[in-house]
Amino acid sequence: MEDEFFGEKCFQYYCAEFIKHSQQIGDGWEWKTAKDCSDGYMCKTEFQIKNGTTPSHLGTPASVHTGFPTEENLELPVDDSEVMESAAASKVIKYEYHVLYSCSYQVPVLYFRASFLDGKPLSLTDIWEGVHECYKTRLLQGPWDTITQQEHPILGQPFFVLHPCKTNEFMTAVLKHPQKINRNVNYITSWLSIMGPVVGLNLPLSYAKATSQDE
Amino acid sequence: MTDDKDVLRDVWFGRIPTCFTLYQDEITEREAEPYYLLLPRVSYLTLVTDKVKKHFQKALRQEDVSEIWFEYEGTPLKWHYPIGLLFDLLASSSALPWNITVHFKSFPEKDLLHCPSKDAVEAHFMSCMKEADALKHKSQVINEMQKKDHKQLWMGLQNDRFDQFWAINRKLMEYPPEENGFRYIPFRIYQKLGLSTLYYPGTMQTKVGLELRERDLPASESGLCSTFQHYES
Repeated sequence: MEDEFFGEKCFQYYCAEFIKHSQQIGDGWEWKTAKDCSDGYMCKTEFQIKNGTTPSHLGTPASVHTGFPTEENLELPVDDSEVMESAAASKVIKYEYHVLYSCSYQVPVLYFRASFLDGKPLSLTDIWEGVHECYKTRLLQGPWDTITQQEHPILGQPFFVLHPCKTNEFMTAVLKHPQKINRNVNYITSWLSIMGPVVGLNLPLSYAKATSQDE
Repeated sequence: MTDDKDVLRDVWFGRIPTCFTLYQDEITEREAEPYYLLLPRVSYLTLVTDKVKKHFQKALRQEDVSEIWFEYEGTPLKWHYPIGLLFDLLASSSALPWNITVHFKSFPEKDLLHCPSKDAVEAHFMSCMKEADALKHKSQVINEMQKKDHKQLWMGLQNDRFDQFWAINRKLMEYPPEENGFRYIPFRIYQKLGLSTLYYPGTMQTKVGLELRERDLPASESGLCSTFQHYES
Protein backbone atom coordinates (compact mmCIF):
# COMPACT_ATOMS: atom_id res chain seq x y z
CA MET A 1 0.00 0.00 0.00
CA GLU A 2 1.33 3.41 -0.86
CA ASP A 3 1.38 6.47 1.41
CA GLU A 4 1.37 4.55 4.67
CA PHE A 5 1.42 6.60 7.84
CA PHE A 6 2.19 3.54 9.92
CA GLY A 7 2.92 0.58 7.66
CA GLU A 8 3.37 -3.06 8.52
CA LYS A 9 7.17 -2.86 8.38
CA CYS A 10 7.05 0.07 10.78
CA PHE A 11 4.80 -1.95 13.05
CA GLN A 12 7.21 -4.89 13.06
CA TYR A 13 10.18 -2.63 13.71
CA TYR A 14 8.65 -0.91 16.72
CA CYS A 15 7.42 -4.25 18.11
CA ALA A 16 10.94 -5.64 17.82
CA GLU A 17 12.34 -2.64 19.73
CA PHE A 18 9.58 -2.98 22.31
CA ILE A 19 10.33 -6.67 22.80
CA LYS A 20 14.04 -5.96 23.20
CA HIS A 21 13.26 -3.86 26.25
CA SER A 22 10.69 -6.37 27.48
CA GLN A 23 13.40 -9.03 27.45
CA GLN A 24 15.74 -6.75 29.42
CA ILE A 25 13.23 -6.29 32.22
CA GLY A 26 11.61 -9.74 32.01
CA ASP A 27 8.21 -8.35 31.06
CA GLY A 28 7.23 -11.46 29.08
CA TRP A 29 6.37 -10.13 25.58
CA GLU A 30 7.10 -12.43 22.66
CA TRP A 31 6.85 -12.26 18.89
CA LYS A 32 4.85 -14.98 17.20
CA THR A 33 4.70 -15.64 13.46
CA ALA A 34 1.70 -17.05 11.65
CA LYS A 35 2.24 -20.25 9.69
CA ASP A 36 2.78 -19.91 5.94
CA CYS A 37 3.25 -16.16 5.87
CA SER A 38 5.33 -13.35 7.21
CA ASP A 39 2.53 -11.97 9.38
CA GLY A 40 3.22 -11.87 13.04
CA TYR A 41 2.05 -10.44 16.31
CA MET A 42 3.27 -9.63 19.79
CA CYS A 43 1.83 -11.48 22.74
CA LYS A 44 2.03 -11.76 26.48
CA THR A 45 0.28 -13.83 29.13
CA GLU A 46 -0.20 -12.57 32.63
CA PHE A 47 -2.22 -13.41 35.72
CA GLN A 48 -4.32 -10.85 37.49
CA ILE A 49 -6.21 -10.99 40.73
CA LYS A 50 -9.73 -9.67 40.82
CA ASN A 51 -11.54 -9.11 44.11
CA GLY A 52 -14.42 -11.49 44.60
CA THR A 53 -18.05 -10.89 43.63
CA THR A 54 -18.39 -7.18 44.33
CA PRO A 55 -21.66 -5.82 42.93
CA SER A 56 -21.45 -4.01 39.62
CA HIS A 57 -21.36 -0.20 39.81
CA LEU A 58 -22.52 0.22 36.25
CA GLY A 59 -25.97 1.56 36.99
CA THR A 60 -28.76 0.94 34.54
CA PRO A 61 -28.54 3.08 31.42
CA ALA A 62 -31.00 1.51 29.03
CA SER A 63 -28.62 1.12 26.12
CA VAL A 64 -26.17 -0.82 28.25
CA HIS A 65 -28.79 -3.07 29.77
CA THR A 66 -30.20 -4.31 26.49
CA GLY A 67 -26.69 -5.23 25.44
CA PHE A 68 -25.71 -7.24 28.42
CA PRO A 69 -25.80 -11.02 28.25
CA THR A 70 -28.57 -12.56 30.30
CA GLU A 71 -27.07 -16.02 30.63
CA GLU A 72 -24.23 -17.41 32.76
CA ASN A 73 -21.56 -16.64 35.31
CA LEU A 74 -23.45 -15.61 38.42
CA GLU A 75 -22.28 -17.49 41.43
CA LEU A 76 -25.18 -17.83 43.82
CA PRO A 77 -24.13 -18.63 47.40
CA VAL A 78 -25.70 -21.66 49.04
CA ASP A 79 -25.75 -20.35 52.57
CA ASP A 80 -24.55 -17.46 54.71
CA SER A 81 -21.10 -18.82 55.42
CA GLU A 82 -20.46 -19.06 51.72
CA VAL A 83 -21.55 -15.47 51.25
CA MET A 84 -18.91 -14.36 53.73
CA GLU A 85 -16.27 -16.40 51.94
CA SER A 86 -17.06 -15.26 48.43
CA ALA A 87 -17.09 -11.63 49.51
CA ALA A 88 -13.49 -11.97 50.68
CA ALA A 89 -12.26 -14.44 48.08
CA SER A 90 -10.29 -13.22 45.05
CA LYS A 91 -10.13 -14.90 41.71
CA VAL A 92 -7.07 -15.39 39.59
CA ILE A 93 -7.67 -14.60 35.95
CA LYS A 94 -5.34 -15.49 33.12
CA TYR A 95 -5.07 -12.74 30.48
CA GLU A 96 -3.54 -13.23 27.07
CA TYR A 97 -2.81 -9.97 25.20
CA HIS A 98 -2.04 -9.92 21.48
CA VAL A 99 -0.92 -6.93 19.44
CA LEU A 100 -1.70 -7.29 15.74
CA TYR A 101 -1.43 -4.99 12.76
CA SER A 102 -4.57 -3.93 10.90
CA CYS A 103 -3.95 -3.36 7.20
CA SER A 104 -7.36 -1.76 6.81
CA TYR A 105 -6.81 0.93 9.45
CA GLN A 106 -2.99 0.92 9.27
CA VAL A 107 -2.73 0.86 13.04
CA PRO A 108 -1.95 -1.73 15.71
CA VAL A 109 -4.93 -3.44 17.37
CA LEU A 110 -5.13 -4.92 20.86
CA TYR A 111 -6.79 -8.33 21.15
CA PHE A 112 -7.10 -10.27 24.39
CA ARG A 113 -8.78 -13.20 26.05
CA ALA A 114 -9.35 -13.94 29.68
CA SER A 115 -10.26 -17.05 31.63
CA PHE A 116 -10.39 -18.29 35.19
CA LEU A 117 -7.86 -20.88 36.27
CA ASP A 118 -10.32 -23.70 35.64
CA GLY A 119 -10.40 -22.66 31.97
CA LYS A 120 -13.82 -21.03 32.07
CA PRO A 121 -13.67 -17.92 29.88
CA LEU A 122 -14.85 -14.49 30.99
CA SER A 123 -17.97 -13.15 29.31
CA LEU A 124 -18.31 -9.81 27.58
CA THR A 125 -20.22 -8.52 30.60
CA ASP A 126 -17.34 -9.58 32.87
CA ILE A 127 -14.92 -7.68 30.65
CA TRP A 128 -17.07 -4.53 30.51
CA GLU A 129 -17.54 -4.62 34.28
CA GLY A 130 -13.80 -5.07 34.76
CA VAL A 131 -12.88 -1.91 32.86
CA HIS A 132 -11.17 0.57 35.15
CA GLU A 133 -13.41 3.23 36.69
CA CYS A 134 -11.75 6.11 34.90
CA TYR A 135 -12.62 4.61 31.49
CA LYS A 136 -16.10 3.44 32.47
CA THR A 137 -17.90 6.59 31.38
CA ARG A 138 -16.40 6.42 27.90
CA LEU A 139 -17.21 2.71 27.71
CA LEU A 140 -20.82 3.26 28.71
CA GLN A 141 -21.28 5.82 25.95
CA GLY A 142 -20.94 3.00 23.47
CA PRO A 143 -19.82 -0.37 24.81
CA TRP A 144 -20.62 -2.09 21.53
CA ASP A 145 -18.34 0.36 19.69
CA THR A 146 -15.50 -0.09 22.15
CA ILE A 147 -14.90 -3.66 23.31
CA THR A 148 -16.50 -6.66 21.62
CA GLN A 149 -15.71 -10.26 20.82
CA GLN A 150 -14.24 -10.90 17.38
CA GLU A 151 -12.42 -13.59 15.48
CA HIS A 152 -8.62 -13.32 15.87
CA PRO A 153 -7.37 -12.59 12.32
CA ILE A 154 -4.52 -15.09 12.51
CA LEU A 155 -5.64 -17.75 14.99
CA GLY A 156 -9.31 -17.71 13.97
CA GLN A 157 -10.42 -18.04 17.61
CA PRO A 158 -12.73 -15.80 19.65
CA PHE A 159 -10.90 -12.91 21.29
CA PHE A 160 -11.98 -9.61 22.78
CA VAL A 161 -10.82 -6.55 20.90
CA LEU A 162 -10.48 -2.83 21.55
CA HIS A 163 -11.93 -1.20 18.44
CA PRO A 164 -9.23 0.54 16.39
CA CYS A 165 -11.21 3.06 14.36
CA LYS A 166 -10.22 6.03 16.55
CA THR A 167 -6.59 5.02 16.99
CA ASN A 168 -5.24 7.09 14.10
CA GLU A 169 -6.95 10.18 15.55
CA PHE A 170 -5.37 10.08 18.96
CA MET A 171 -2.00 8.75 17.82
CA THR A 172 -1.61 11.66 15.42
CA ALA A 173 -2.19 13.98 18.36
CA VAL A 174 0.20 12.04 20.59
CA LEU A 175 2.99 12.06 18.00
CA LYS A 176 2.63 15.70 16.93
CA HIS A 177 4.69 17.26 19.70
CA PRO A 178 7.62 14.83 19.80
CA GLN A 179 7.86 15.00 16.00
CA LYS A 180 8.12 18.78 16.21
CA ILE A 181 11.06 18.61 18.55
CA ASN A 182 12.62 15.65 16.70
CA ARG A 183 12.30 13.31 19.57
CA ASN A 184 12.34 9.53 19.12
CA VAL A 185 9.09 7.86 19.94
CA ASN A 186 8.31 4.18 19.84
CA TYR A 187 4.80 4.16 18.32
CA ILE A 188 3.96 0.81 19.92
CA THR A 189 5.08 1.91 23.38
CA SER A 190 3.01 5.10 23.21
CA TRP A 191 0.00 3.35 21.76
CA LEU A 192 0.05 0.44 24.19
CA SER A 193 0.51 2.72 27.19
CA ILE A 194 -2.77 4.39 26.18
CA MET A 195 -4.85 1.35 25.17
CA GLY A 196 -3.51 -1.24 27.58
CA PRO A 197 -4.72 0.19 30.90
CA VAL A 198 -8.33 0.24 29.63
CA VAL A 199 -8.25 -3.55 29.69
CA GLY A 200 -5.95 -4.17 32.61
CA LEU A 201 -2.60 -4.09 30.87
CA ASN A 202 -0.10 -1.70 32.44
CA LEU A 203 3.35 -0.88 31.13
CA PRO A 204 6.28 -0.37 33.48
CA LEU A 205 7.67 3.17 33.14
CA SER A 206 11.05 1.90 32.02
CA TYR A 207 9.63 1.46 28.50
CA ALA A 208 9.41 5.21 28.14
CA LYS A 209 12.96 5.70 29.34
CA ALA A 210 14.18 2.96 26.98
CA THR A 211 13.01 4.95 23.95
CA SER A 212 14.67 8.19 25.00
CA GLN A 213 17.92 6.37 25.73
CA ASP A 214 18.22 5.64 22.01
CA GLU A 215 18.77 9.34 21.26
CA MET B 1 -25.09 1.14 -9.88
CA THR B 2 -28.58 1.59 -11.35
CA ASP B 3 -27.64 -0.78 -14.19
CA ASP B 4 -26.84 -3.43 -11.64
CA LYS B 5 -30.17 -3.09 -9.83
CA ASP B 6 -31.38 -6.52 -10.97
CA VAL B 7 -28.18 -8.20 -9.85
CA LEU B 8 -28.28 -6.38 -6.53
CA ARG B 9 -31.86 -7.50 -5.96
CA ASP B 10 -31.06 -11.11 -6.86
CA VAL B 11 -28.16 -11.15 -4.43
CA TRP B 12 -30.20 -9.55 -1.67
CA PHE B 13 -33.20 -11.83 -2.03
CA GLY B 14 -31.23 -15.07 -2.32
CA ARG B 15 -32.58 -17.75 0.03
CA ILE B 16 -31.45 -21.16 1.26
CA PRO B 17 -34.09 -23.72 2.27
CA THR B 18 -33.00 -25.05 5.64
CA CYS B 19 -34.16 -27.77 8.02
CA PHE B 20 -33.31 -27.29 11.70
CA THR B 21 -33.20 -30.39 13.92
CA LEU B 22 -32.55 -30.49 17.64
CA TYR B 23 -29.36 -32.28 18.67
CA GLN B 24 -30.31 -35.77 19.81
CA ASP B 25 -28.50 -35.53 23.18
CA GLU B 26 -30.40 -32.44 24.31
CA ILE B 27 -32.71 -33.36 27.20
CA THR B 28 -36.28 -32.78 26.14
CA GLU B 29 -39.55 -32.66 28.01
CA ARG B 30 -41.56 -33.05 24.85
CA GLU B 31 -41.13 -33.91 21.19
CA ALA B 32 -39.20 -31.45 19.05
CA GLU B 33 -40.22 -31.59 15.41
CA PRO B 34 -37.75 -30.35 12.79
CA TYR B 35 -38.27 -26.72 11.82
CA TYR B 36 -38.11 -25.51 8.20
CA LEU B 37 -37.07 -22.00 7.20
CA LEU B 38 -35.86 -20.07 4.15
CA LEU B 39 -32.67 -18.30 5.24
CA PRO B 40 -31.54 -15.05 3.60
CA ARG B 41 -28.03 -15.47 2.19
CA VAL B 42 -26.97 -11.93 3.08
CA SER B 43 -28.01 -12.11 6.74
CA TYR B 44 -26.68 -13.78 9.88
CA LEU B 45 -27.90 -16.94 11.64
CA THR B 46 -28.57 -15.38 15.03
CA LEU B 47 -30.49 -12.55 13.41
CA VAL B 48 -33.04 -14.67 11.57
CA THR B 49 -33.62 -17.67 13.85
CA ASP B 50 -35.80 -16.26 16.66
CA LYS B 51 -38.64 -18.58 15.63
CA VAL B 52 -36.29 -21.55 15.52
CA LYS B 53 -35.11 -20.76 19.05
CA LYS B 54 -38.66 -20.36 20.38
CA HIS B 55 -39.75 -23.60 18.73
CA PHE B 56 -37.01 -25.75 20.26
CA GLN B 57 -36.98 -24.03 23.64
CA LYS B 58 -40.56 -25.21 24.10
CA ALA B 59 -39.28 -28.77 24.11
CA LEU B 60 -36.61 -28.15 26.76
CA ARG B 61 -36.82 -27.88 30.52
CA GLN B 62 -36.62 -24.30 31.74
CA GLU B 63 -33.27 -24.91 33.46
CA ASP B 64 -31.70 -26.25 30.27
CA VAL B 65 -32.43 -23.15 28.23
CA SER B 66 -29.10 -21.55 27.40
CA GLU B 67 -27.40 -19.81 24.47
CA ILE B 68 -28.39 -21.40 21.15
CA TRP B 69 -25.72 -22.47 18.68
CA PHE B 70 -25.75 -24.23 15.33
CA GLU B 71 -23.71 -26.98 13.80
CA TYR B 72 -23.47 -28.66 10.39
CA GLU B 73 -21.95 -32.17 10.15
CA GLY B 74 -19.94 -31.62 13.30
CA THR B 75 -18.71 -28.12 12.44
CA PRO B 76 -19.95 -25.32 14.72
CA LEU B 77 -21.41 -22.58 12.50
CA LYS B 78 -19.88 -19.15 12.94
CA TRP B 79 -22.87 -16.85 13.17
CA HIS B 80 -20.69 -13.88 12.29
CA TYR B 81 -20.18 -15.24 8.76
CA PRO B 82 -23.02 -14.43 6.36
CA ILE B 83 -25.42 -17.35 5.90
CA GLY B 84 -24.73 -17.65 2.18
CA LEU B 85 -21.00 -17.88 2.89
CA LEU B 86 -21.48 -20.67 5.43
CA PHE B 87 -23.62 -22.61 2.97
CA ASP B 88 -21.22 -22.15 0.05
CA LEU B 89 -18.26 -23.21 2.17
CA LEU B 90 -19.78 -26.21 3.88
CA ALA B 91 -22.87 -27.53 2.16
CA SER B 92 -23.12 -26.36 -1.43
CA SER B 93 -22.40 -29.82 -2.84
CA SER B 94 -25.06 -31.50 -0.70
CA ALA B 95 -28.72 -31.89 -1.57
CA LEU B 96 -31.19 -29.33 -0.27
CA PRO B 97 -32.55 -28.60 2.26
CA TRP B 98 -29.51 -27.59 4.27
CA ASN B 99 -29.66 -29.69 7.45
CA ILE B 100 -28.53 -27.74 10.49
CA THR B 101 -28.40 -29.14 14.03
CA VAL B 102 -29.50 -26.95 16.92
CA HIS B 103 -27.69 -27.04 20.28
CA PHE B 104 -28.28 -25.47 23.68
CA LYS B 105 -25.58 -27.25 25.69
CA SER B 106 -21.78 -27.27 25.68
CA PHE B 107 -21.24 -23.99 23.87
CA PRO B 108 -17.92 -24.34 21.94
CA GLU B 109 -16.05 -21.42 23.52
CA LYS B 110 -12.92 -21.95 21.44
CA ASP B 111 -14.76 -21.89 18.10
CA LEU B 112 -17.71 -19.55 18.31
CA LEU B 113 -18.24 -15.95 19.29
CA HIS B 114 -21.02 -15.45 21.80
CA CYS B 115 -24.13 -13.69 20.62
CA PRO B 116 -25.79 -12.36 23.76
CA SER B 117 -28.24 -10.13 21.86
CA LYS B 118 -29.03 -8.53 18.50
CA ASP B 119 -26.68 -5.73 19.55
CA ALA B 120 -23.78 -8.14 19.04
CA VAL B 121 -24.86 -8.81 15.44
CA GLU B 122 -25.32 -5.09 14.80
CA ALA B 123 -21.89 -4.31 16.27
CA HIS B 124 -20.26 -6.95 14.09
CA PHE B 125 -22.07 -5.86 10.93
CA MET B 126 -21.27 -2.17 11.44
CA SER B 127 -17.67 -3.02 12.24
CA CYS B 128 -17.39 -4.83 8.88
CA MET B 129 -18.96 -1.87 7.05
CA LYS B 130 -16.55 0.54 8.74
CA GLU B 131 -13.52 -1.54 7.91
CA ALA B 132 -14.62 -1.80 4.28
CA ASP B 133 -15.01 1.99 4.09
CA ALA B 134 -11.58 2.46 5.65
CA LEU B 135 -10.23 0.75 2.55
CA LYS B 136 -12.57 2.40 0.03
CA HIS B 137 -12.70 5.98 1.27
CA LYS B 138 -10.28 6.23 4.24
CA SER B 139 -13.46 6.03 6.35
CA GLN B 140 -14.57 9.49 5.15
CA VAL B 141 -17.97 8.49 3.81
CA ILE B 142 -19.05 6.33 6.73
CA ASN B 143 -17.74 8.78 9.34
CA GLU B 144 -19.56 11.69 7.72
CA MET B 145 -22.86 9.83 7.97
CA GLN B 146 -25.14 10.54 10.89
CA LYS B 147 -26.00 7.92 13.47
CA LYS B 148 -29.44 7.60 11.95
CA ASP B 149 -27.89 6.61 8.61
CA HIS B 150 -25.91 3.86 10.29
CA LYS B 151 -29.11 2.75 11.98
CA GLN B 152 -30.89 2.70 8.65
CA LEU B 153 -28.25 0.41 7.14
CA TRP B 154 -28.67 -1.97 10.02
CA MET B 155 -32.47 -1.83 10.09
CA GLY B 156 -32.54 -2.41 6.34
CA LEU B 157 -30.59 -5.63 6.81
CA GLN B 158 -32.47 -6.70 9.92
CA ASN B 159 -35.91 -6.15 8.38
CA ASP B 160 -35.02 -7.36 4.88
CA ARG B 161 -35.71 -3.95 3.33
CA PHE B 162 -33.69 -3.67 0.12
CA ASP B 163 -34.61 -0.05 -0.66
CA GLN B 164 -34.07 1.13 2.90
CA PHE B 165 -30.63 -0.48 2.94
CA TRP B 166 -29.49 0.74 -0.46
CA ALA B 167 -30.66 4.31 0.14
CA ILE B 168 -27.63 4.56 2.44
CA ASN B 169 -25.35 1.90 0.98
CA ARG B 170 -25.27 3.60 -2.40
CA LYS B 171 -23.28 6.44 -0.81
CA LEU B 172 -20.70 3.88 0.27
CA MET B 173 -20.54 2.63 -3.31
CA GLU B 174 -19.79 6.01 -4.88
CA TYR B 175 -16.48 7.65 -5.64
CA PRO B 176 -15.57 11.12 -6.96
CA PRO B 177 -15.76 11.30 -10.77
CA GLU B 178 -12.11 12.35 -11.04
CA GLU B 179 -11.00 9.09 -9.39
CA ASN B 180 -11.21 5.87 -11.40
CA GLY B 181 -12.58 3.92 -8.49
CA PHE B 182 -12.19 3.26 -4.79
CA ARG B 183 -8.82 3.72 -3.14
CA TYR B 184 -8.82 -0.02 -2.46
CA ILE B 185 -11.49 -2.66 -3.08
CA PRO B 186 -12.17 -4.68 0.07
CA PHE B 187 -12.84 -8.36 -0.31
CA ARG B 188 -12.30 -11.55 1.63
CA ILE B 189 -11.34 -14.96 0.34
CA TYR B 190 -12.55 -17.90 2.40
CA GLN B 191 -10.73 -21.12 1.82
CA LYS B 192 -11.71 -24.51 3.08
CA LEU B 193 -8.72 -26.47 4.37
CA GLY B 194 -9.89 -29.73 5.87
CA LEU B 195 -12.35 -28.88 8.62
CA SER B 196 -11.14 -25.39 9.43
CA THR B 197 -11.83 -22.26 7.51
CA LEU B 198 -9.41 -19.39 7.14
CA TYR B 199 -9.92 -16.04 5.58
CA TYR B 200 -7.45 -13.71 3.98
CA PRO B 201 -8.53 -10.12 3.90
CA GLY B 202 -7.26 -8.72 0.68
CA THR B 203 -7.12 -5.55 -1.28
CA MET B 204 -6.71 -4.81 -4.93
CA GLN B 205 -4.92 -1.82 -6.30
CA THR B 206 -7.59 -0.23 -8.40
CA LYS B 207 -5.26 2.11 -10.23
CA VAL B 208 -2.88 -0.50 -11.56
CA GLY B 209 -5.46 -3.17 -12.31
CA LEU B 210 -5.94 -6.50 -10.62
CA GLU B 211 -2.97 -7.19 -8.41
CA LEU B 212 -3.36 -9.09 -5.15
CA ARG B 213 -1.17 -7.83 -2.37
CA GLU B 214 2.03 -9.60 -1.37
CA ARG B 215 0.33 -12.05 1.01
CA ASP B 216 0.78 -15.50 -0.50
CA LEU B 217 -2.20 -17.78 -0.47
CA PRO B 218 -1.20 -21.33 0.47
CA ALA B 219 -2.08 -24.10 -1.94
CA SER B 220 -5.47 -25.44 -1.09
CA GLU B 221 -6.32 -29.11 -0.76
CA SER B 222 -9.98 -28.78 -1.50
CA GLY B 223 -10.00 -25.93 -3.93
CA LEU B 224 -10.33 -22.22 -3.62
CA CYS B 225 -13.71 -20.73 -2.99
CA SER B 226 -13.98 -16.99 -3.17
CA THR B 227 -17.04 -15.25 -1.99
CA PHE B 228 -17.48 -11.59 -2.73
CA GLN B 229 -19.47 -9.97 0.00
CA HIS B 230 -21.41 -7.78 -2.35
CA TYR B 231 -22.79 -5.39 0.19
CA GLU B 232 -19.33 -4.77 1.64
CA SER B 233 -17.72 -3.81 -1.63
